[in-house]
Parts: sequence; C-alpha cells; structure tokens
Amino acid sequence: MTQQSLGEFEELVLLMVAAQHDKAYGVAILEGLEEKLKKKMNISAVHVALKRIEDKGFVKSHFGGITEDRGGRRKKFYVITALGKRMLDTQYQLRSSIYKQIPKISFG
Amino acid sequence: MKLTPPKRLLQFLRWFCREDYLDEIEGDLTELFIKQAEISPRKAKWIFGWRVIKYFRPEFIKSIKNSHQINTYDMLNNYFKIAWRVLLRKKTYSAINIIGLAFGLTCSLLFLLWSYDEIRVDSFHLHSDRLYSVYERVYNDNEMKAAYFTQGLLAQELKTSIPEIEYACSFRMLDPVTFQVEDKIIKMEGACAGEDFFKMFSYKVLHGNMEKALSDPSNIAISQKMATTFFESPEKAIGQVIRFENRKNFRVSAVFENIPDNSSLKFEFLSSWEWHLQEVRWLNRWIYRAPLTFILLRSDSKPIALESKIKNFVKPYLQESHSAFYIELGLQRFDKKYLYSTFNNGVPDGGRVEYVRLFSFAAIFILLIACINFMNLATARTLKRAKEIGVRKTIGAARSSLTTQFMMEAMFLVFLSAVISIVLVILLLPTFNEITNKHISLPFTNLWFWLIAFLVILSTGLVAGSYPALFLSSLNPIKALKGSVKFEQRVIYFRKALVTFQFILAIVIISAAIIVSRQVQYIYTKGLGYDKDNLIYIPLQGNMADKFQTFRQQAMNIDGITNVTRSVQRPTHTWRHVYDLDWPGKNSDSRGVAVHNGIDYNFIESLDLKIIHGRNFSLDNPSDSTGYIVNEAALKMIGSKDPIGLPLSFFSNRGEIIGVVKDFHLTSFYSPIEPLVLFLFEDGTNEGYILVKVNPTKTNFVLSALEKIYKEMEPGFLFTYEFAEDHHFQLYKDEQVASTFSNYFAAIAIVISALGLFGLSMFTAEQRAKEIGVRKVLGASFSNIFFVLSKDFTILISIAVTIAIPCSYFIAQNWLSKYAYKIALDWLLLFLPVVILVVVTFITIAYQLIKAALVNPVNSLKSE
Repeated sequence: MTQQSLGEFEELVLLMVAAQHDKAYGVAILEGLEEKLKKKMNISAVHVALKRIEDKGFVKSHFGGITEDRGGRRKKFYVITALGKRMLDTQYQLRSSIYKQIPKISFG
Repeated sequence: MKLTPPKRLLQFLRWFCREDYLDEIEGDLTELFIKQAEISPRKAKWIFGWRVIKYFRPEFIKSIKNSHQINTYDMLNNYFKIAWRVLLRKKTYSAINIIGLAFGLTCSLLFLLWSYDEIRVDSFHLHSDRLYSVYERVYNDNEMKAAYFTQGLLAQELKTSIPEIEYACSFRMLDPVTFQVEDKIIKMEGACAGEDFFKMFSYKVLHGNMEKALSDPSNIAISQKMATTFFESPEKAIGQVIRFENRKNFRVSAVFENIPDNSSLKFEFLSSWEWHLQEVRWLNRWIYRAPLTFILLRSDSKPIALESKIKNFVKPYLQESHSAFYIELGLQRFDKKYLYSTFNNGVPDGGRVEYVRLFSFAAIFILLIACINFMNLATARTLKRAKEIGVRKTIGAARSSLTTQFMMEAMFLVFLSAVISIVLVILLLPTFNEITNKHISLPFTNLWFWLIAFLVILSTGLVAGSYPALFLSSLNPIKALKGSVKFEQRVIYFRKALVTFQFILAIVIISAAIIVSRQVQYIYTKGLGYDKDNLIYIPLQGNMADKFQTFRQQAMNIDGITNVTRSVQRPTHTWRHVYDLDWPGKNSDSRGVAVHNGIDYNFIESLDLKIIHGRNFSLDNPSDSTGYIVNEAALKMIGSKDPIGLPLSFFSNRGEIIGVVKDFHLTSFYSPIEPLVLFLFEDGTNEGYILVKVNPTKTNFVLSALEKIYKEMEPGFLFTYEFAEDHHFQLYKDEQVASTFSNYFAAIAIVISALGLFGLSMFTAEQRAKEIGVRKVLGASFSNIFFVLSKDFTILISIAVTIAIPCSYFIAQNWLSKYAYKIALDWLLLFLPVVILVVVTFITIAYQLIKAALVNPVNSLKSE
C-alpha cells in the first residue's frame, strides 16, 4: 500500500480535478461531480476534500483573476501534481487488476 | 439587476473564516448564490445561509493564535518607542506635562491620606455602635449654648437611674501632672475617668485587672510608655507606688497599651473619678460643668428613644434651674464626636468633617483639573503629530489601533507621573505630618492601597488620554497630511471655560490665603489691652502657693526680673465662669454670668492694666480680701454709674467693688470681652500660676536662676515655664494650620492655573500661526500682534474677576464672622489676588505669545 491514503470522496474530487485540468475550481468541481453522480452535493464538502488532498500533496493551487460574478473574489484553481497522478494510476491499476481476477459470474 | 448575497451572512463568514481561504470560499459561495438566485432569490438566500453555517468548523475558522499575536506585540513595542521619542523630542513640554500631573496626583494623594486618617479616628472601639457621648444645651436668658461639658456626678446618676444604660463614665483631662518614683521626676498628661472606662472603650489593658483598674481612689492605670519610663517594664509596674504631685501615692493597678494615633482621647495615665470628686469639691455641685460624660447603651436599647427620655434628666438635680435657666441633655455617637463637634442650634453639626469634605473634594478636584490640563496640553501638542497620524492611517492603521496608541502614551505618562508623585509624597510626608500634627505614612503593605493606586492611574490615564485618543484617531488622513487640522469651536469654548474657571478658583483661593494670613497677623499684633510680652508663667505645684511670698522675695532679688505676681488662671486664657453674680438692683430674671480670676496685689501693674475708676488691691487695706475689681463689660452689665462701693456677691461671698479696670482680652478673639470679676488670691488655693515679668535681654539668666530657687523650695517637682506670648498663640493653632494650608493651596492654585494657561496659550499660538503670518505680511508690528493674542486672555481674566470677587468677598465674610475681633475687608485685600494672578498669567503666556509674534511669517505661511 502507499503511505498516503485517499478517501472515497477525496478520490472522486481528485479525479475531477484531473479531468478538468487547468479549469478546476470549487464550483466547477462541484457541478462536474453533481452531473456525473446525479445527486446534490455540498460545496463545503468539496472544499474540505480539496484542502485535504492539497495537504497530502496530490494537488496544488493558484489564484486566478478577479471576476465580477464572484463578488470581487478570486477563483482558486487546482491542478493535479505528479504525485496525485501516480496515486490515481496506482488506484486504477489496483482496482482493475483485482477486477480482472473476478471469475465470470452470472446472475441469471 | 444582479443580486448579492445577504450582507450579514457575508460579514459573519468574513469574521470567522480563515483569511487565506476566504477568497476561494466566499467566491465560490457567491457564484453559487448568483446561479441559484436566477431561479429563486428567496431560496438562494436560505441555501446561502445554510452553506455559510456549514463552514463554521475547525478547518475554516481563524485560529486564535494565528499570526495576530506577534503583530500586537510589535505594535506595542512600536507605541512605546514612539511614546519615548515624543517624550524626548520636546523635553520642556514633556516635563511640564508630567510634573503638572505629578503635582496634581501628589496633592490629591496627600489630601486623601489626610482625609482617610481623619475618618479613621476613634473607629477602633469595638462597641462603637453603642458608645455615646453626652452633651448639654444650656438655656440662659433666651440664649442657648451647647457643649460637651457635663456635671461631675452625671455619669453615675445616669447609670443608676436609666436601665437602658449599661455603663457610664466621666472623663476629664488634667493639667500636666508631676509624677515621682524614687528620684525619677517626670511630667505626664493624663485624665481622670470613671471605673467603667475600660469596659466601654477598647483601649487594651496589658497587665492588671481591667474591671477594677479604676475602682479604688488610690488606683492609677498607666500607659505602657509610662510604665517603661518609671519601672523599666509593664510587668514590673503592677502594684508599684507612684507619687502624684508630691502629695498623694497611687498604686499602679493596670498598664494599658500606648494610645493609638487615631484616638481622639489622649492620656498617659488614668486616675479614678472617685478620687477626683474628693479632690475637686465643686465637681459635686450640679451647677458646675467640666468633665465629659460617656455612656454605653445596652445592645437592645434605642438611642433616639433614650435621648428624648433623658432630655430633662438634669432638671431635678439643679436647684438653680428656673424658666430662664435650664439644661437639656443630648446624645452623640462617640465615633462621630471627633468629626462633628461644632454645635449648631444645639445639635452637633459640622466641625472637622467640613475640612474632610473640603479636602476630599479638593483632592478630586485638583486631580480632575490636572487631568484636564494634561489632556489640553496633549491635544494642543498633537497638531504637530497630525502628519504621523496621517501616515499611520494611510498605511492602514485602524481607528482602534490609533486610540490604543494614544491611550497607551497617556498611560505611560501617567505612570511616570505616578512614580514621581509617590516619591514626592514620601519626601513631603514628614513636613506634612508636622503641619497637620499627624503620623501618616504611605500604607505600602496594604493591598487596598495598591489596588486604589492602580485604579487611580488607570482612570487618570483614561480621562487624560481619552480626548487626544478619540480626537486624533478621528482625523481625516488627507487633511492631517495636508496640515490643515482645526479644532472645533466647542472644543475651544470648553478650553476657555476651563481656564476661566481655574482663574476664578485661583483668585478665590489666593484671596482666602491673604485674608487668613492677614487675620493671623492681626491676632499676633493686635494689642490685648495688657502687656503680654516678656511674661513667664510658672505653674504653682505642691505647696508653692503657701511659699509664694518667700519665692517672690527671692525672685525679686534676681537681676532682670521686674515683677513677680500670681493668678489662678493665665491671663491669656481666662475662662472660668461664675453663674450666680448678684448685686443690688439686679433684674431677677437674668443670670449674673461673668468670668472670674483670682489675682495678687501687683497683678494689675505687672500686666500694665489701666484702672479707670477706684483703686487697685492694696496691702494697706485689710478689707480688700472681700473687694472686687471688675472690668468695663461687667460695669455695663451691672449698669451702675457709681460702682465704687457697690456690694457684689458671687460663690455666695459678699464683697464690694473697689475698682474698675479697662477692658482687656480674656481669651481668643473668637469671643467678645465678657464681664470679669477679679478678686484677691485666697490663701489655701493650691492651683494657679506664678507670673514673672522679665527684662528681655536677661531671659536665659533669669530662667536658670528661677529654676534654682524653685527646685530648692519644691524638690519634688519639675520646674516648667511658658511664655505668655506662646500660650496666646497656642489658642490659634487652627488658624496657623489654616494659614499654612491656605498658602499651600494658593501655590497649588497658581501652578494649576499657570498650567492651564500654558496649554491654552500654546494652543492659541499654534492655531493662529497663519493668521499672525498674514498680519505680519500686511505690516502688523510686534506690539500689535502681542495685543491681538493677549486680548483673549484679557477677556477671560475680566470674566473671572467679575465672578470671583463677590465669591471671595462672601467666603471671607463668612470665615471672619466667627471672630469677635477681626480685620476689616477692604477692596485692596480683594484685588491683590487679581494683581498676583495677572502677573502670573503674563509671565506664563508671554513666552508663547512672544515666540508666536516673532516667528518669520514665511515659516508659518509656506506650509500650505
């Protein structure tokens, strides 16, 4: 196992950050997840997850320019790091290798 | 139109959320809100609120220790640094300001210490709530006089017939008494007291039986100090014999702890009242009043009810009483007696408490004025610092941090002042104690002292710093940087009103000081109607009265003695009254009240009294032993045109008037000259004074020669003497203290008003710098400008004078009214303070105004 663990929701957020490369920020991530998962989610949960994966070094962030529709506040963009990508890769490989071991089961 | 998220919620978010997250969170929330609001604005608000609340969790909340502390510490450091630099930059100004405040603090601290000490007097008695002092209202010919003097038998009678009274005792101070143990002879001051004394008062008895200490006529209770002086230690003193005035042996029955400083009764010994009644026969008669009477109520009795019950207690005992002459009793709590001992309408009302109130008020007042002056000086000075404030504000200082800064500066200065004032108080206390005759020390070990000191510093700092802090922090940074700061009109009025008020106060106080010292001077120099100079009193002790003629013969041989005589009372304070003076044709309703004194043959010539009718007592006339000499006042009371040979009787002794002497002062100037009856010194009187008239150049020689004769004739006594002049001035101790105090007060008033003026003139000069520049450019001369600038002050002084003169006239009138003989109030006396103050004002403001008038107009005009 890797030293760093990644929670289920954290993994989803990390995936979304990677998917929305260069354009990922709080609201975009939320909306992307809501669209994929087909359910309402909480922005604060997204923020918490973002802080955690940033602390673990899977993403890094930078501020964008000021936009009017954000009440003069800047966007904070998240980009996946090499470590984050490796983490996703490891997770994916782990899951798919186990998945491949599943014998053909049929639920008639 | 674009909707914005609810403000309150945003504020709340900003308040709690970590600043490094705020951009992201607030931005995202706002974005979501706007999207939501397009669908439903009302729902959006609810959702927004709910979301904000969800952020209220540890990850997002500002940490308490987060970054702030370091900053605060640095800022405080910076404030101190700036405060210190400001202090050093203008040394004179800082010194004036700090010393001014220190001065105010010192004065108020001294006054408060004094007041505190006064309030504590007699507070240590455990039964204070039940311990009462009896006073008497004497009604005589429609006149009523109240005093603490009571009858010698009153205490005992009260105790036996009134059940509400648990204990009662009489108390009477004695003249200094000579005590002897073996070859030790020492004079001590003490009193006689009833046997309940120690059960009523909380004077601690160290050795011996407290209950029976004064029950036997041969018992005496002595102080620890006296016991140590005579018997080495209090333990050894018990049961020992001590000789009293070389005529009676007392047995020491108890030793009590030295009388504390805050006791109003002061005595080194107490002898029994029973013995005193045997000794002084007239104390057994109800007509004479001398001792104080104290009672201790039972714990369940009501003082008010008791007071009305005993109101007419004395009447049945007093055979002399009738409709025009009677005595009523009154009660006063003993612990109140010291502060409230002046009678008004027959009730104790006022007295020293007036001084306590006056001084506490003065203390607070002086402190307040010193604070306001401090504030004014600080504010005037801040115009110089407007730029600093401008810069601070531009960089981003919040108003609160500027307020903190100036408060801190004020506190810093107040703290320095406080340290200086404590040092000053320590230095001044010995002198202060000497003047006030007290033993005050700073209660360094008392926690309350430190707490109060801390509170005073804090509140003074707050008061003194509040105006600069609030005013400066409110400056508009642009204006401040441009250098065009102006005070509001009402601020200027306030300053002017304050300065005027200080002027009024100063004038009143200075005139009070002048009037008091003039009256004291008047007392010292006014003729008494006799020659008190170079007159020495020597008390008659032991059997001296019998041996007087021998003493006189020997003394008259000493070179430098011009005359030797004797009298029962000292002529500077003749106070004993007779109430039963009678003469043919006397109106039966009126009481014959007069002062009396027993004198010797050459008394009248020794004092240089003038006989206006009849003759002096003469040895050639044996019948003179029943002859009387009266004064003009007595003659007026008797109302006879030809008084010589008129029969006169008092103390039931019949005699006739042989001479009339011109009025002379009998006691202090408080009382008018009363009728006086002089009679020949009777044989068998063992009290009184030898009066020796000396040549002033040989006083020392005469005194040592007299001592030698005296010691030979009366070896059991100490030779003591007193100059008539000193005794005369003793009567005016209060006036001397008042005079010294009022001089100090005047100095304080002058310094304070000078400080106020200094602030105002500095302020005026700063404010009007540009105006002066313009005037100079247009051709105004130095004197023009000086006149323009001082005009303001002239108006203020005029207003102050108009208000102050009537005030001081009224106060002076009031104060002088207690004297029967006093100085006349003339206008010069009232205007002198004004002159003094104008001179002080001129000196104070001249420096500032001259500086302002001389400045090159270029300097004041170029800054804009």
